[in-house]
Amino acid sequence: MRASDTLSWVKHAVLAQRSRNFLTVLGFAIGISAVTLLAAVGDSLKQYVLSEFTQFGSNIIGVTPGKSDTMGITGILRTNRGITLGDAQSLLTLNEVTGVVPVVAGTAEIKYRNLTRATELVGVSHFAAKAWKLEVAQGQFLPEDHFTHPRAFVVLGSKLHHELFGDYTALGESIRIAGHRFTIVGVLAPKGQFLGMDLDEMAYIPAAKGLSMFNRTSLMEIDLLYSPSLESAYMAGKIREHLIRRHGVEDFTIVTQDQMLDTLDGILNTIRFAGIAIGSISLLVGSVGIYSILTISLWQRRNEVGLLRALGMQQSLLIRLFLAEAIFIALMGGSVGLIVLALVQVTLSTFMPQLPALLTLYSASLGIGVSIFIGALAGAEPAFKASRLPPIAALRAQ
Amino acid sequence: MTINDNIAFNAQLLIRHRWRTTLLMLCVAMGVSAVVLLVSVGESARLYVAREFSMLGSNLLIILPGKKQTSGGGIPFYGTTTRDLTLQDAASIRQLSGVDSVAPVIAGTANASVGARSKNVMVLGSTLDFLKARQLSIAMGASLPDDAESVSRNVVLIGSNLAQELFAPHNPLGKMLTIDDYRFRVAGVLAIRGESLGLDMRDAVILPVKTSERLFNSFSLFRILISLNGLTDEKTVISDIYALIKKRHQGEEDITIVTQQSMMQAFNNIMVTLTTIVGLLGSVSLVVAGILIMNLSLISVQQRRTEIGLLKALGASQHVVLTLFISESIILVMLASAIGLGFTQVLLLLANYWWPTLSFSTPLWAYLSAVCVALLTAVLFSYLPAKQAASISPVEALRK
Repeated sequence: MRASDTLSWVKHAVLAQRSRNFLTVLGFAIGISAVTLLAAVGDSLKQYVLSEFTQFGSNIIGVTPGKSDTMGITGILRTNRGITLGDAQSLLTLNEVTGVVPVVAGTAEIKYRNLTRATELVGVSHFAAKAWKLEVAQGQFLPEDHFTHPRAFVVLGSKLHHELFGDYTALGESIRIAGHRFTIVGVLAPKGQFLGMDLDEMAYIPAAKGLSMFNRTSLMEIDLLYSPSLESAYMAGKIREHLIRRHGVEDFTIVTQDQMLDTLDGILNTIRFAGIAIGSISLLVGSVGIYSILTISLWQRRNEVGLLRALGMQQSLLIRLFLAEAIFIALMGGSVGLIVLALVQVTLSTFMPQLPALLTLYSASLGIGVSIFIGALAGAEPAFKASRLPPIAALRAQ
Repeated sequence: MTINDNIAFNAQLLIRHRWRTTLLMLCVAMGVSAVVLLVSVGESARLYVAREFSMLGSNLLIILPGKKQTSGGGIPFYGTTTRDLTLQDAASIRQLSGVDSVAPVIAGTANASVGARSKNVMVLGSTLDFLKARQLSIAMGASLPDDAESVSRNVVLIGSNLAQELFAPHNPLGKMLTIDDYRFRVAGVLAIRGESLGLDMRDAVILPVKTSERLFNSFSLFRILISLNGLTDEKTVISDIYALIKKRHQGEEDITIVTQQSMMQAFNNIMVTLTTIVGLLGSVSLVVAGILIMNLSLISVQQRRTEIGLLKALGASQHVVLTLFISESIILVMLASAIGLGFTQVLLLLANYWWPTLSFSTPLWAYLSAVCVALLTAVLFSYLPAKQAASISPVEALRK
């Protein structure tokens, strides 16, 4: 039997029972679109989060004070064994390190003439612009000053600039941060949010100034960049060795980009898996639908099958025909499901343009693949049963 | 036709088509139990956290140093700002009417060691009121001294885990513990309460707040917990506190006050939304099951044309036939729902047996809504086939 014959046989079998096959396809389509939709949502969530975290490049390592065997939020707590500016500066002596960003953050009131804005103040070094990929819209970022004795310069986030200065230029103006005078050397380009923090609302000052204003000795974190050709584990070992030499004990935590991505990956995969599991309940019900309809169809087409057998058709061919019918119905369902998904995508993207793509090559191939698999699975039993019908009994059944 | 007749008629039918009935019931039962299970997991998680919150008392305020005026809102959880919130601020807040107790907190990390054993621990400097506000009790020994806010005594309360790790097999009471080069006498051991809202007290130490000022060489409080006595309106107290701090901090209102209530509300909203979404996603499977019901009913109508023709020839009205077909689906769905709910109950019982802390419980509305949605789909999706059956002309059906 040629492929085209098989196709036309399947076409006639399916079209003969239009209404019931339509309903079967509809039920299966809902199941498929539920699974692919949830898988796609989980997937784009993962992509989104990972891209948020990898936007700073993969060769970045974070060092936080405190050994995190007991807690998670160590950087912001008080400690007598913190990480100092001296530590940050000494890390620069490692050959592999291309730059360090000491980080200390908190809130402060920023005043310009009679305007006041309470916002987040971050103490960093000149290298932050490179490490965090901050783009400067006006002026420059913090200059490369002495680590412990920097000049009182400040760089404003775009929104903060707009709130204090409107459309006027701010370069060279003086603002007061908690009573101290800072000179504005630059304004950043809009960057958006990161982990719920609005980066455009922040003001960036030298870390040493930040430490003294917040009356702290310990930094909250050191971010450092290393040559991209090196292994992160090797680099982490180097830094650990260096800091233990300075501190005597390991009272800090090193998190490499790879470790962080691993953790995130685990969490996000769990979410994605849960989504797929919820969607597949519908798919399961839809598959039972295909199975029951095929079984009923077969029962109603006993004589046809008997006739085919009596005319000498092989069992294997019969199995293939029924399987083809099952897979065809499932594929129809899958395609309709994907079309629904595409429609959802189009509708949603008019309201939320920044939404990532739901209908991707991955979700489409997932939907089609699952359809074929389930079609074969649901059709297997009826097909096998059909092939086993004795021709006499089947013909007599009229 | 009485209801009894109706049930007897349909029971016969369902039994005759055993195979089909089983498949349909399986689908509906799966849908119903999926909805109930998903909703009850969401609800249990919500209730678990709500219980944790309510244990802390509903009239609790939390003051954080610092303020953010950003459009996105967000609380300054860093607790780092340019002007310290101090013990004196806390003491002045205590004078306000409507305030029952004030617990200043200094939080930090330090190395705690006994002999050769050492561990990195969370250090909380506070007062007796903190223990009361966080519902912490003492398993053995004494609590913090009454003058924790004014006198810097070297006594410490330790978490249960820490007592084990640093002192076992000895009794820790009265022993010396070194925290970052200062020596402390262990006054008491905290009772096990496990993780309370993300703060693991089993590995923490609690000192008098005055002592922690000295330990960390800082006067800056991390948080102030305030419980209200309920005599003055919460809003009034909050604005009073803002006004007081503004006066004390040279005209700057540089704190943020969060109420326990609002935190719980925010959390509740998130959880309810999540549970609803998940429940709705689960009920998609019920819709798919409904389509299957419709499909099989259509086939059944096709097969039973003669029977229906006979019924109508004997005087059954369109209405009776319609009722018969719809009630067939309803009976099936009710049976299936019962099976589904029974299955869910078994699963939840097992879950409760394995994870007793979460105590899974299903709200009544989850059962009701799952069954209602199932019944609704049954009626909706069997209406069309039933309509078709009812409109069969008896003469034509019988002539065949």
